[in-house]
Amino acid sequence: MSALLEVSGVSVSFDGFRAIDNLSFSIGHAELRAVIGPNGAGKTTFMDIVTGKTRPDTGTVRWGRTGRSLLRMSEARIAREGVGRKFQRPTVFEDQTVADNLMLALRKDRGPLAVLVFRPTAEDRDRVAGLAGEIGLRAALDRRAGDLSHGQKQWLEIGMLLAQEPRLLLVDEPAAGMTLAEREHTTELLKEAAKSRAVVVVEHDMDFVRRLDCKVTVLHEGSVLAEGSIDHVTRDDRVIEVYLGR
Amino acid sequence: MTDATPTATGRRPFALRHPSVIVVVAALALFTCVVTLLSEAYGTGAISTSFVKTLGKTLCLCLAALAMDLVWGYCGILSLGHMAFFGLGGYAIGMWLMYARTHLIVVGSLSGQALPATPEEIRDGIAAQIFGVVGGADFPAIWSVAHSLPLQLAAVVLVPGLLALVFGWLAFRSRVTGVYLSILTQAMTLALSLYLFQNDSGLRGNNGLSGLQNLPGTSQPQSVTSMWFFWASALALGLGYVLCAWIVSGKFGSVIRAVRDDETRVRFLGYPVEGFKLFVFTLTAVICGIAGALYYPQAGIINPAEMAPIASIYLAVWVAIGGRGRLYGAVIGAAVVALLSTWFTGGQAPDLPLGIYTVRWIDWWTVFLGLGFVLITLYAPDGLGGLVDRIVRVRRSDRDGAELSSGPGARAIRKAGR
Repeated sequence: MSALLEVSGVSVSFDGFRAIDNLSFSIGHAELRAVIGPNGAGKTTFMDIVTGKTRPDTGTVRWGRTGRSLLRMSEARIAREGVGRKFQRPTVFEDQTVADNLMLALRKDRGPLAVLVFRPTAEDRDRVAGLAGEIGLRAALDRRAGDLSHGQKQWLEIGMLLAQEPRLLLVDEPAAGMTLAEREHTTELLKEAAKSRAVVVVEHDMDFVRRLDCKVTVLHEGSVLAEGSIDHVTRDDRVIEVYLGR
Repeated sequence: MTDATPTATGRRPFALRHPSVIVVVAALALFTCVVTLLSEAYGTGAISTSFVKTLGKTLCLCLAALAMDLVWGYCGILSLGHMAFFGLGGYAIGMWLMYARTHLIVVGSLSGQALPATPEEIRDGIAAQIFGVVGGADFPAIWSVAHSLPLQLAAVVLVPGLLALVFGWLAFRSRVTGVYLSILTQAMTLALSLYLFQNDSGLRGNNGLSGLQNLPGTSQPQSVTSMWFFWASALALGLGYVLCAWIVSGKFGSVIRAVRDDETRVRFLGYPVEGFKLFVFTLTAVICGIAGALYYPQAGIINPAEMAPIASIYLAVWVAIGGRGRLYGAVIGAAVVALLSTWFTGGQAPDLPLGIYTVRWIDWWTVFLGLGFVLITLYAPDGLGGLVDRIVRVRRSDRDGAELSSGPGARAIRKAGR
């Protein structure tokens, strides 16, 4: 099996509303993918299913070379398997410093007792400083995350995801509310990350998706409408009708 | 290795990173010395034995508040059941105190007989003494190890710990959070106290356990034994403070504060949130059990009313007044409110004549406390501990004019405003 994640025939309904309808999706081990679609197309629900927040009614979600099912695992277990998720609204721990936030995310034993006796080594601190450098927050390590600007919070969250060393990164609207310069930096970060792992970016913004320069999956009413390069999908008549034509 | 990274703070010794530990432990040591030197047993006698007991009890309440701050202020679990664990600790030690003392009395009264008393006779005599008040003459099963001090001491830790473990496991794995969890813990407390009110609960119903101030096996007067308990309470509070400060200082503290602020996000970082909550809930229940085991021998009596939900609500009020999320805040809050409460309800506070109406503090103290709670919640959400922060100017990063977001309370307000 060559795919890292393989979602097939997944459906889920909320109170009779079909949020996801027989969706199939797969992504390789080091691939950047953009997922676009109008509101209510099921983008967020798709992420919820992969990360274990929502259980699908039918279908399978297979993971890794051995094709293990993610459906029976808890959210925390899936995260430890190597699925990282960035939410639409930046969710960093505002009460704690940038360094604390990154240290929290650093890939280490997550059990309560291991965490209780954990004391960071010089290596861990260097790693945190290095990550802060990557996301442009080297000088802000000791600042409270709540004091950062919106764009900086987004980066901090991306930095926390990188610290987790996930094999699959799910990123929900990373460019929302960012300035042009911040968007460019974010694009670089995501492209760099996709060299060694799979990255799925859910995005509304067509220009941003074009800049990512990767394969695009268009969702509509809970299933895949079209898949291919950005130029390919933007020429597709059905895509124009449901999404771009509006 | 240079100190180029600002995160190098982790390398300094524990106590230096947390000056509050040194301050609190030093203040506690000084306080203990002063009280000892002014006590009737070991000093000038300026402090009466009953006031030594009040101070010792206050230290135990501070320890319970410390646990409450850990579970609520740091981990965000507003438990309204921690005074139940406190009471269980008191009952566990009270059973031994009552059994051992009654044992001495019964042996003494039977020694005049021609034939030496058999163990059965002694046992029946003790049972009749203890349970006569609820119309029983047999030991219920839960008293089977009451004769053994080590086993009852183990119960001080195990009974609250196991109850918290089972209750917490059921509640947390069902993802009951917020106000629903508070209601659930309150229901547990109410059920426990109602059960203990029954005469056939095996713990003497509403009579509770009494005579706990008498320490069996010693002929020392109350003035001396009360100092022993005072020292033990001070030691327990000191150790409890260091333990709690150590727990919240490292990554564990970082994780539980993160759980308080955004549980879902922590889950997606891969942390088993339920495990962390369960650990904190159980540990704090054990701390409360130990605090209760030191409190009730100084109070002399324990009955199920002590475990009513209102007691746990008071505990939350102390922590809120002292300032959540800072350990010294909990200690300050509990000490200030408990001592003021003793002063106002103990009859020492002078009545306030207002011409047509005289304010009697015994009646009005609760109103006064409630008003204080409301005012602190509204105007000083960081509590008394927040004032301490302001005085010592705890380094705060410049917020660049951003909105205040220090405590979970402030965050909730911001969320509601959005």
